[in-house]
Amino acid sequence: MLPVEIPRLLSQHWPCRELQTRQIASLLGPLGPSPATLVVHGISATCKSTIVRAVLSALEVPHAIVRSTECITGRHLLTKILWATLEALGKRDDWEKYGKGRCEHVSTLAVLLSECLASMPRNAAEKFVLVLDGIDKQREAPQTLLSALARLGEIIPRLSVVLILSATPRPLFLQTAGVPHIIFPPYTRNEAITIILNSRPPPVACLSDEIPPNIYPHFVSAIYDSLVGPTASSIPTFRSICEKLWPQFVFPITNGETPPGGNEEWDFSRLLLKNRGLFRHHGEAALVHHIVTEEPESFTNGSVSKPTLSVVSTPSPLPSLPYFPTLILTSAYLASHIPQRLDTIFFSKFSSSSLSARNKRAHHRRRLKLLSKAQAEDARTTSNDPSTPSKKGKRQKTRITKSTLESAFATSSATTSAAGATGITGPSTILTARPFPLERLIAIYHAIDPNPPANPILQAAVSDAIYAELATLRRLRLVVPAAGRESGGRMGLGSGGLNSGNTTSDAGERWCVNVSGDWIGEMAKGIGVEVGEWLAGGLD
Amino acid sequence: MELDTETQGVAKDGSNTQGVYIYQPAKPHGERPSKRRKVQPENKEQKTESHLFVPLLDGEENESSIELRYNAYQQLWSTQEKKIQETLNDVDSEVLENVLSFVRSTSHQTYDGCIPTALITVGSNVSSLGRLLSKLNDQLTASEEGGVVILESGDAPNLKATLKNIIRAAITNTEGNDGYQKFLTDREGPRLLGYDLDLLGDYVKRKGAKKLVVAFRDSEAFDPNILIDLLSLLSSWLDRIPFTLLFGISTSVELFEGRLPRSSVALLRGRYFEIHGASNCVDRMYERLQADQNGRFWLGRNITGVLFEKSNDYFQTPEAFSRTVKYAYMTHFFANPLAMLLSDEVSVNRQQVKLCEAIRNLPSFRRFCEHLLDDASPEQVHSLLENDEFLFQQSLKYIEIGQQQMRGIFKAVKAIHLCLKGMDVRKKSTMSDLSIRALSGELQDSTYMDDLLRGLKTLNSSMLKEFLSFMPQDLTNCPEFQEIKSDFKALLQTYQGTEPLRSEYDSHNSVVQQRVKLSRGKAKLPQQNIEYTKVIDRVHALSERYFVETLVRPQELFLHEAFLLDMKNPLKETFSPRPRFAIERALASPFDYLISMSDRTEAKISARQPATAILYQLYLESGALVNVYDLWQAFYAVFESEQGNACDERMTMTLFYRAVSELKALGMLKSSRKKVDHAAKSAWIGL
Repeated sequence: MLPVEIPRLLSQHWPCRELQTRQIASLLGPLGPSPATLVVHGISATCKSTIVRAVLSALEVPHAIVRSTECITGRHLLTKILWATLEALGKRDDWEKYGKGRCEHVSTLAVLLSECLASMPRNAAEKFVLVLDGIDKQREAPQTLLSALARLGEIIPRLSVVLILSATPRPLFLQTAGVPHIIFPPYTRNEAITIILNSRPPPVACLSDEIPPNIYPHFVSAIYDSLVGPTASSIPTFRSICEKLWPQFVFPITNGETPPGGNEEWDFSRLLLKNRGLFRHHGEAALVHHIVTEEPESFTNGSVSKPTLSVVSTPSPLPSLPYFPTLILTSAYLASHIPQRLDTIFFSKFSSSSLSARNKRAHHRRRLKLLSKAQAEDARTTSNDPSTPSKKGKRQKTRITKSTLESAFATSSATTSAAGATGITGPSTILTARPFPLERLIAIYHAIDPNPPANPILQAAVSDAIYAELATLRRLRLVVPAAGRESGGRMGLGSGGLNSGNTTSDAGERWCVNVSGDWIGEMAKGIGVEVGEWLAGGLD
Repeated sequence: MELDTETQGVAKDGSNTQGVYIYQPAKPHGERPSKRRKVQPENKEQKTESHLFVPLLDGEENESSIELRYNAYQQLWSTQEKKIQETLNDVDSEVLENVLSFVRSTSHQTYDGCIPTALITVGSNVSSLGRLLSKLNDQLTASEEGGVVILESGDAPNLKATLKNIIRAAITNTEGNDGYQKFLTDREGPRLLGYDLDLLGDYVKRKGAKKLVVAFRDSEAFDPNILIDLLSLLSSWLDRIPFTLLFGISTSVELFEGRLPRSSVALLRGRYFEIHGASNCVDRMYERLQADQNGRFWLGRNITGVLFEKSNDYFQTPEAFSRTVKYAYMTHFFANPLAMLLSDEVSVNRQQVKLCEAIRNLPSFRRFCEHLLDDASPEQVHSLLENDEFLFQQSLKYIEIGQQQMRGIFKAVKAIHLCLKGMDVRKKSTMSDLSIRALSGELQDSTYMDDLLRGLKTLNSSMLKEFLSFMPQDLTNCPEFQEIKSDFKALLQTYQGTEPLRSEYDSHNSVVQQRVKLSRGKAKLPQQNIEYTKVIDRVHALSERYFVETLVRPQELFLHEAFLLDMKNPLKETFSPRPRFAIERALASPFDYLISMSDRTEAKISARQPATAILYQLYLESGALVNVYDLWQAFYAVFESEQGNACDERMTMTLFYRAVSELKALGMLKSSRKKVDHAAKSAWIGL
């Protein structure tokens, strides 16, 4: 097929990509010589790979496509390139001639590929296209890999290499000038809507065929403006949201409700008014993907207009840990979130009766609260922030800003005390957990134990039991060694998979709790420990 | 007090359980050890076989009774183990069914490109997933639909190894290990790398597999980075290999999702299953073991308490529960000579002088004799004390009776459990609670019993019918019960109303009664209701009597030592060891373990103690930071005060250094960053 005809053909399937299609087709077409290297880039879900693939098969140019997400190492990639080439040239059975199917270095690849291509029959099309899809995401790639691959086309005369990247390339990242780049920009609003409207609206039972053409386009653009555009979602997400929400949107029609205002028919604006809540609840839920989804059947019967959020099949958010590990986890949480120097105030039953210890705690909390309030007021006067809470509110909530925290850190001994925010969720989740030594965990365990043993001497073995349970908690990554946590990044991982079975602990090794405070609080309530009572700035 | 029991224990048990001994090297240094001759192994094996159990009663137990004990144990445990296995197999069958149908019905087409994923929350019942997966694998391979690849976190140190493991496990699952090797080598074209999923793709194509389940047993323990990589890789292969993922989750689904980035979560879609907690399974196992129709041996109150505490409050699998029970059984048959009485083959002519003596020393024997004397049968007591043969005969008889009564107790417990469940009493009763009370003989006076009997009075006729069907056989067989039942039946037949009959104790009626009282009239309860009340009264009286009769204290039964094991200690010591406590005690008071050379018992630090112990005790007196020079001075002072001028300072310093480094190795001391000449304390005693 001639390159000129291709864009028209492809645009039926993949609209709004005519320009890119034409560029690729003319660059790789059989008529003229192709560039040695071609870079195709654009963010994900912009149809790069699909278009390249479609153009190449329409042009009937011999080509090989290697998806580099499937290659585990650089060596794996090179080997795959070789095999894919052999296969595309129909020489799969001759693999022994070409390095016995092995290829461990780019330079070997260059030699082997040129041998392969040299043996190509002369009369066939003069070029061979090698497509490397997602090459910028290659695992364990040597640093020179990209520029070396770009040189392949220069060394081997009949080869042209297409590199598909999903990141925007830096200038001269291939260390060569004059490499043609083709960009696949994200779809604009009009394009995205056109694409969605290109396919028929999702079928809905008992909806006559005349209605969708009037309403569906409006619906799609409303979805784009409210949900897809602001979140920069991709076309597949857009489509799936439309498919999910459309049946609910037209539910008043299918249900046979009479439109308000004495009109005979539903039009878009009435439906939109009727479904205001839909965009808020379902729309936002549709943006976040969950593994366990509600079964679509639940929409077909009756109660669609109300968001049925509490579906029976959804699992409970709280894990079910036995009593003892829960208590250990709670102690670990407290140990992580209370500065060590406050321990004597918060946990000591030694110096005084527990009542006065509680008083001390309360006093301490008050002090912190005052401090942070003063901070907040300072902030309000200086910046005149309009969003500060109005005085009409029942209780004045203290805003926790970065500066509040910083100043609290600087002036107060209690670093966790982010002051009177509501509940434990407020202050404790904002601040990161800090590591603690194991001995402290055990000591705090003894302090908060809701069922303390009648005779403390008999209880001497608790620490040994704690070690055993802690090992399990560590396996579940609820409590992790602090050293691993720092390297683990966002998820607070234990230090890599290598020592996931390794439970040796050094004398002073520090640990850290690895879950959010809200549900530790919930779980602790289940066993009769009130976390807020122990936590600085927790109760009020 | 811990101390007391332990020292006594050592003294009683004799040489075998001696914890500490003096090591004597067999040969002085420099001499080569003589060559050992090879001994035929078969000979040895036979010998050890017969001596698995050691003779008890000061070693005077004869061989045949040892064998009796051993065989009785083997027989008993094999039947119990079978019951446990049955319960385990039975318990998750429903979840298995659901998971199987999920695996069969879903594919990436039905989930538009997402990997079908089953999330299975297991809670603390970690081992159940393994059983489930192996059953799933059996079913899938049997129907040749595919197979299950089970991955543990240890199998996934990095992406390459993980893929290798997946591929190998998938292929060896059906082809065996040789098949895997063959698969690697006997293929056309170049040899593939071990982690190339092309291998798996080939395999799937060749076998025509429709489902390949990859199960992550402990999904939390996997390194999330590897998991993320793996998920993206698997999803890109989804069009060629029909993967289904299965995650075992011990915490919660929310947490699991939260730990993965959104882009990875977007690759997955599926359903959620729940395996019931371990405690449910353990309850059922306990019921099968204890409340069996033909039970012969029971675990007592203390052991039951330990078992349930472990399985409810800790991470413990049902398998661990069964191991603990097994250990309890073993200790009984290993260490209790009376256990031979439980054997089937025991007969009168197996009696022994020593055994009879042992029986006479039992507390329960003494109580039994006192009881007999109260009943004025001194001759019997006389012959029990004098005549071995008579004693043995009686023992066998009373063991039988005792076992009968134990069975009765558990039947009653079972009935109470069912009734309370049927009556919908607010307070929940579990089999374990009831059993513990029954085994300590407190069930009769407990609130459960009050609830039951009070509830019984207010039953209406349809509920009573149900209630009567729960009653244990011992009760239903007695003539009085039959009589009541037939009366009740007759009453129901004459009664025509649609409402069930109510007794006068029922709250519905009592309101009526009060009002009637106000109007000073005789209660206008229908005749049938009055009759029904009579029936209820009779049932109430009868069942009360029955429960009082049945629920005896097991500790009062004669020879309960033989068929009831109720010692907490070997079990607790074995399954929750206390290394830290032991180390701290050894260091703080070394002469608890070592033999002191001096005559007087020294409570204080002395130079005779090991150097590490001395240092540890000094260390206990200090704060969180210790000046090492002070520590050394104190240490030296201990030696100096004892040895006077003869004290060698350099020698003492060597000891000091050694002690410091030993404490360091124990993790109790470390160098401090705050002050150069100080050491930091990192362990506190008694935590």
